[in-house]
Amino acid sequence: MTTPNVIRTVRGRRALPLAALGLAAAALLAACSSSSSTPTTTTAPPGGTLSSSNAAFLAADLQAPAGSLNAAGSTFVQPFFTSAFYAYTGKNPGLQVNYQGTGSGSGITAFEAGTVAFAASDVPMSASDLAKVPASSGPVVQIPDILGGVSVSYNLPGVSTRLKLDGATLAGIFDGSITTWNASQITALNPGVSLPAHAIVPEVRADSSGTTYIFTDYLASASPTTWKLGTSKTIAWPSSAEQTPKNSGVAASIKSTPYSIGYVELSYAIQNKFTYAAVKNAAGNYVVPSLATVAADADQKVGVSPTDFSIVNQPGATSYPISGYSWAILLQKQTSATTGAQVVKVLDWTTHTGGGQDLAAGLDYVSLPPAVQNQNRTQLLTVTGPSGQTLLTK
Amino acid sequence: MTVVDTPAAAPRPARRRWSLPDNGYRAVLAVAAAAVAALAVWFLVSMIVQARPAFSTLGFSWIVQKTWDPTHGRYGLLPFILGTFEVTAIAVVLAVPIGLGTALALAYLVPQRARAGLSTTVELLAAIPSVVYGLWGLIVLAPVFRSTVEPFLTSVLGWTGLFDGPDNGVGLLLAGVILFVMILPTMVAISRDVLAVVPNEQVEGAIALGATRWQVLRKVVVPGARSGLLGAFTLATGRALGETVAVALVIGNSPYIAHSLKSPAATIPSLIVNNFGESTGTELAVLFAAGLVLLVIGIAVNSVARWLVWSAAGSDVGAATR
Amino acid sequence: MTTVADAPVDPTVERRRAVQQAATASLRRRRLGSRVALGLCWACLAVAVVPLVAVVAYVVAKGLPAWNLDFFTHSTTPEGIAGGGVWNAIVGTVVITTIAIAVAVPLGLTVGLFLAESDGRPAAALRFTADVMTGIPSITIGIFGYIAIVRNFGYSGLAGSFAIGFVMLPVIVRAGETAFRGVPRSLNEAAMALGARRATVARRVVVPTALPGVITGVLLAIARGLGETAPLLLTILGNEYLQWNPTKPMESLPTLIYSYSQQPFADLVQVAWGAALLLVVVVLILSIGSRVLAGRLRKERR
Repeated sequence: MTTPNVIRTVRGRRALPLAALGLAAAALLAACSSSSSTPTTTTAPPGGTLSSSNAAFLAADLQAPAGSLNAAGSTFVQPFFTSAFYAYTGKNPGLQVNYQGTGSGSGITAFEAGTVAFAASDVPMSASDLAKVPASSGPVVQIPDILGGVSVSYNLPGVSTRLKLDGATLAGIFDGSITTWNASQITALNPGVSLPAHAIVPEVRADSSGTTYIFTDYLASASPTTWKLGTSKTIAWPSSAEQTPKNSGVAASIKSTPYSIGYVELSYAIQNKFTYAAVKNAAGNYVVPSLATVAADADQKVGVSPTDFSIVNQPGATSYPISGYSWAILLQKQTSATTGAQVVKVLDWTTHTGGGQDLAAGLDYVSLPPAVQNQNRTQLLTVTGPSGQTLLTK
Repeated sequence: MTVVDTPAAAPRPARRRWSLPDNGYRAVLAVAAAAVAALAVWFLVSMIVQARPAFSTLGFSWIVQKTWDPTHGRYGLLPFILGTFEVTAIAVVLAVPIGLGTALALAYLVPQRARAGLSTTVELLAAIPSVVYGLWGLIVLAPVFRSTVEPFLTSVLGWTGLFDGPDNGVGLLLAGVILFVMILPTMVAISRDVLAVVPNEQVEGAIALGATRWQVLRKVVVPGARSGLLGAFTLATGRALGETVAVALVIGNSPYIAHSLKSPAATIPSLIVNNFGESTGTELAVLFAAGLVLLVIGIAVNSVARWLVWSAAGSDVGAATR
Repeated sequence: MTTVADAPVDPTVERRRAVQQAATASLRRRRLGSRVALGLCWACLAVAVVPLVAVVAYVVAKGLPAWNLDFFTHSTTPEGIAGGGVWNAIVGTVVITTIAIAVAVPLGLTVGLFLAESDGRPAAALRFTADVMTGIPSITIGIFGYIAIVRNFGYSGLAGSFAIGFVMLPVIVRAGETAFRGVPRSLNEAAMALGARRATVARRVVVPTALPGVITGVLLAIARGLGETAPLLLTILGNEYLQWNPTKPMESLPTLIYSYSQQPFADLVQVAWGAALLLVVVVLILSIGSRVLAGRLRKERR
């Protein structure tokens, strides 16, 4: 069912002590998660705290010049971006932002060709991608725009208990070495659960995908000795795996194939009411994916950058280990002051609490940790217009 | 007041509505043809330019290699080439006889008044977007195939060796059947029109000689429409070779060579559509090159079709008008 | 008087009887074969109709709930905002397809006429090229549209028209040629004997006679053009907002179906099915309309 599009204001925006700010952020995340843990803290929260000038910047963001922008890229962020930009236009009717989820790669290609104002990708541009941007265009700014989790959903008739799985077992299932549900590795993790002797049908992505990247990144990190298929958007899956394009395809396959298990973005698992596994994190706990547990994982490593972007398998008792950011990509030297101002202001509004991030939870996304939001703003402040002027103002 | 005697109006000269002089007419036609030829050349050149990096980096052997593993730089195209052939073959083997039978029924057997309605019904199959076919195949047909159709076919035809392996639902068989449904309206619509314009004198002559209805159809109507039927077959096969989205959803997308009709497989179009949005660099060039390979396959298939039993000589309508 | 029993057998009568028996047996056999074969033809018709009914029923069941006034008059809204529709996609599809038809149909039919009248080597090569073009995957055509137009001029409805036109063109050429070749040579010759120029013959004799076949071919091409997704995916980008200007990115029904059916949210998926149903209904109307038109034209000529 749909959630009414209410923009929630963060209560802690007025000058309150840091601790209260952290409490409010945690409470917000916990309010819409399915996990029961509500971290309360009186010290600085691990995710950082929002800068005090946030409100001023947000107000200025809504003063961006009128016009229209085109952007393309990741399908994962499409629901979030379309909602956020729709809300933005509601507040600043002169500016329309048209975002289309054509795929991370084609978004990057379009960005390199200059046919879109900014792009979005689940995996930041690699060195070889960056080399394709003409030198005259200048450096590229990449900032995380939203956070998501990857669930391990399964269709196991007759088993009502939630399964516990760890990195090594998942690696075995998805590389084809563990072939039946009642294999010893699975039963060892789930004592007391009667598992059928049926063959496992792994459901995986047929197309190149950021979700695959995050999932295999986790497998490589959690089980480096046994996972040999690499970390990539495209994997040479074993022939026993069923490959379907898109998250929705894998979801449909899981739904219609008994004894199957696959990896899908959390929003698909929630919307389809899948049963998903509790995955063992680095601290040794079996964690169910939820908005709160994904946020907990991200909070453990807020110093992310385009060259160091993996946040899988982070420490922390409640961290859900299969999590990842999606990234917005823009040029640091904008060729038009108007378009440049539009781009940075829209992105600034979208990536901060009080702006677009407030819409995340209603769509099963996780908002960025405050420290990451602050970093984003710092990055966006480096974007200049044709005469070198800073475009983001407050 | 004098009555002026109005002289009779001079007879208007016989005025012919102006028509393009023959030279002009031929010129217009030739220009149009040249434009289309130029478009085809532009397409070919663009593809070659985009595909070149693949050939310069990887050579040519990758086209017939078996292993597709881009992460490790292996780009074997063979499973996709075979998959394309296999799924097209299934679709065409089903579509030609059934399409021809349907077209005959619509052209000669169905009562006159029902003809238009039923023809429109069959043509409606062409109206359904390919993504809908794919989704319907994946959500509705695949479970039916997995639970009923495939076990049944395995029990009846398993001895042929074509039905080994587990019942997946998705795979060559399902993709072939979906593709068959998609190309059927093309086959039927054009065949029906061609069959219907076989000269009445020939049909009546055959009846006068005492042929049964089937003999008339088989010996006079169908041969008489041969080149048109070849056109229908070509268009249908072309559609089957190039169908992308529907096939990608139901073929199972397995980059391995299929061992049976029930195996998942992949085709070149499904490979391209699955990876184009996300790939860059060498892999992107490889996808372009794969498109070129498919073009070559299309040329080969068309050549074979021409050379086939339907030879240009013969008493068909097409030949008679040359 | 000789009895019947020992009358000499007349070889002619005997022969006639044998032939008659053989003929009767042959007729019985041929009639049976005919009935079986014709029965198979009817079965083929049934086979053709069954999946149609199944798919259309499915599309109706999933798509009809999405149809309401907002669906047809409002543009798309994101998940969670009620009152969204597909008006921007309808506008886009109409604009893009109209431009594509306006270019591809006259061009394709002209080339079809050319091929129907020519038999030389260049014509054979062009015919072959058109056949091969029908086999180009729609995604490759989309890629070509991207390389040729989008890279130079940006995403636009015109790029989409270019790609869709490319899809439709070879179908129209081949179907047109088949239809024009079906016109009996005698009609052509009669017109020319009356002194008509070739252009007149084409306009007054060939095209009207071939019109039913031409309409079928054009309709098939349009139906295909309306439902093609991949060429548009790479050329029009899509647009959340209403856009009438074909030089800007636009939305279209097939791309909307493609992207919304991939969403995790059930109401967006339903919008996708609603759009699919709309496409089917549109082509149905086109199909019936053109049949009526062809029938009326045929009556006028008589």
